Amino acid sequence: MQAADDLEERYERVMGRRFLLLTILPFALFGSAIVAMLVGTIGPIGPGDPQRISYHDAFAAIFGTGDVPSYLNQIFWQVRIPRIILAGLVGAALACAGTAMQAVFRNPMADPFIVGVSTGASLGAVAAGLAGIASIAIIGSMVTPALAFSTALITVFVVYRLGVVRGRVYVDTLLLSGVAIAAFLGAVVSFMIYFTQQEYHRIIFWLLGSLSLASWPAVAVLVLAVSVGTVTVFLYSRELNALLLGEETAHNLGTDPEALKTRMLLMAAVMTAAAVAFTGVIGFIGLIIPHMLRLVVGADHRVLVPAATMSGAVFLIWADTLARTAIAPTELPVGIITAMCGGPFFLYLLRRSKAGGDRR
Amino acid sequence: MNLEVRGLSFSFGEKRVLKDVALGIRDGEFIGLMGPNGSGKTTLLRCLMRYLPADGSRILIGRRTLDSFTASELARVFAVVPQASATDFTFNAREIVTMGRIPHISSRLAGMGRRDADAVKAAMKQTNTWQFATRQFSELSGGERQRVIIARAIAQEPRILLLDEPTVYLDINGQIEIMDLIRRLNSERGITTVAVLHDVNLAARYCDRIALLSEGALEAVGTPKEVLTPENVQSVYDVAVVVRKDPFTGGVYVMPHATPSSARKRGIRVHVLCGGGTGGPVMKALTDRGFGVSAGVLNVLDSDFESAKDLHVEIVEEAPFSPVSDDSHARNLTLAMQSRWVVVSPFPVGPGNLKNLEVATTALKSGKTVYLLLPEVGKEIDFVGGKADVLVDDLKRSGAITVAGINDLTRRLAEGSEP
Repeated sequence: MQAADDLEERYERVMGRRFLLLTILPFALFGSAIVAMLVGTIGPIGPGDPQRISYHDAFAAIFGTGDVPSYLNQIFWQVRIPRIILAGLVGAALACAGTAMQAVFRNPMADPFIVGVSTGASLGAVAAGLAGIASIAIIGSMVTPALAFSTALITVFVVYRLGVVRGRVYVDTLLLSGVAIAAFLGAVVSFMIYFTQQEYHRIIFWLLGSLSLASWPAVAVLVLAVSVGTVTVFLYSRELNALLLGEETAHNLGTDPEALKTRMLLMAAVMTAAAVAFTGVIGFIGLIIPHMLRLVVGADHRVLVPAATMSGAVFLIWADTLARTAIAPTELPVGIITAMCGGPFFLYLLRRSKAGGDRR
Repeated sequence: MNLEVRGLSFSFGEKRVLKDVALGIRDGEFIGLMGPNGSGKTTLLRCLMRYLPADGSRILIGRRTLDSFTASELARVFAVVPQASATDFTFNAREIVTMGRIPHISSRLAGMGRRDADAVKAAMKQTNTWQFATRQFSELSGGERQRVIIARAIAQEPRILLLDEPTVYLDINGQIEIMDLIRRLNSERGITTVAVLHDVNLAARYCDRIALLSEGALEAVGTPKEVLTPENVQSVYDVAVVVRKDPFTGGVYVMPHATPSSARKRGIRVHVLCGGGTGGPVMKALTDRGFGVSAGVLNVLDSDFESAKDLHVEIVEEAPFSPVSDDSHARNLTLAMQSRWVVVSPFPVGPGNLKNLEVATTALKSGKTVYLLLPEVGKEIDFVGGKADVLVDDLKRSGAITVAGINDLTRRLAEGSEP
């Protein structure tokens, strides 16, 4: 009896740790956003720059109190705040989409771009730039994002159709179709870039991902996509758990695996397409964050989905802060930061889980 | 809950996998679905759980047809244990079992209630998995993992448990463990159990009834004894078997037989004097090589008697545990004299069957060639105070040929039968 109580207690401890993380994360997210707001070329925190302003002035600018130059107010409200919110939303979207994709593909190596979202969006963005409809770098222009968003979703739909045979979604076929379509579209994008030498720098910037085009309309679109997407994925978290034990078991537990896969693919595609449309292809978040969080809180999606979503937001806020300050005043594409942090970290996790063997 | 299948057919495209299967499964019974690979066992199971779109009006659960159930109603009737469950994801054992409660949780937003937690704990206790509740599922051994999966099925509180070859990837210890567990759950919780099983003997030991499928059609249904006859097994699996009584359970036990190499019949009969299980391998080796065999005197129930019957050998038989009667002795002698050679297997000699050894002496004296298989070193065969040893020594002296083993024997006999 004593032994059984110990087990119960140990279990409660494990579970307790998980919920503690879930309660800490919202504060971490809020705190990160506040700190990130104050970091910058113009701001109280930042690399050695003559233009330091005081905390007092910064808060005065943010809250519109006191007499600070109006350009400060503009910098905070038109540039930095939307940018930080967008970073959080994009990070959340990619991490949540990655979590859903990994469950649908029953493969911890899946990521949100696996069904061709990124190349689809790139095609739209590059085409927009090429056709001169819109210059990619025009802040506030909705033409490029709209085109990128549409081509991303069309690509996903094509890949999805290829993965469906007689009403069944075959994830292996889906995966391979995704790879094939991505390779083909990637070639088309490269071909187009080859003939647009003057746009080259901008396109590369877009392909590596950047939050420098952040705007309130972008935030509005992402708020919509992320809230619908994350809430839907969360509501299906029990079904996603069941799906990981196999489709037969999922069916036996009362879920419809086909409908579930389709719904999750749709949500992941919409969130990812919305993110990519405004910020370009920010890699590694959708792969690393769910993976990392699974090591901390386990695979139960009831905890994993909210934890990964919030962690993705925190991670991208910090990565973007680094991107805009590391070699200020020049800005780095944030995709470089995420890949530089993510790649080695991922290898570390991989080696650790291999070395641990049975301790996975 | 009882289950009835009324003439169910199912096709994958053009291929008919189930042909008009009719099967009634009683409440609380443990039924095994058997048949060769591709005979439709798993398909039948998947039609029952509606994983495959079969004609639901032909399947009755209790008094309702399968198609009248909603998905979550169905999930509270059936629980399924697949062949093997593996996941690359870091679930601990308790999280896996908790998934069994999904059909009982009313809303997507609701958490686990007291009742759910209790059901999970009870299921884990009953399957002896509670002690590794916090361990990672992927760290567990195959048998432990399957127990966790069964606990998940039990936590679902099903009326009917469907199992698809639940022991196929387990070693023999794991197989027995899992089958014992399933049988126990079946009787303790009264869950109707339908299991696809591959191992004939596991099925014979654990099932109340067996349904034998062949090429999508139901070949036979009944108790293991009724269904697992050599004829049924031969026709469905195309393999020769002998069916014996399991000495421990009284059930049936099926042994595959190397299919006799279609040896040319030599037209030569060998008489084997045996008993106590020493003659079986000799008779088998001889029949396999095309010799006719007769044997005597064997008590009914002696394992050599059973072997001789399975090999369709001519037998001089005696009532169980009775000494050899004069009549049997005479018939034994006649068969020995009419055969080409006489083989003496190293059978244990007691007062009741000493006469069998005397047959060899008589045959040898009247000019028959007698082959003497020696007992294993250190193995006593004399239980008549030295009389048997005297007879054996006498045989050796009088020219009986001692052979080292069965291979030696068959080689010599084969040489001897060349023209």
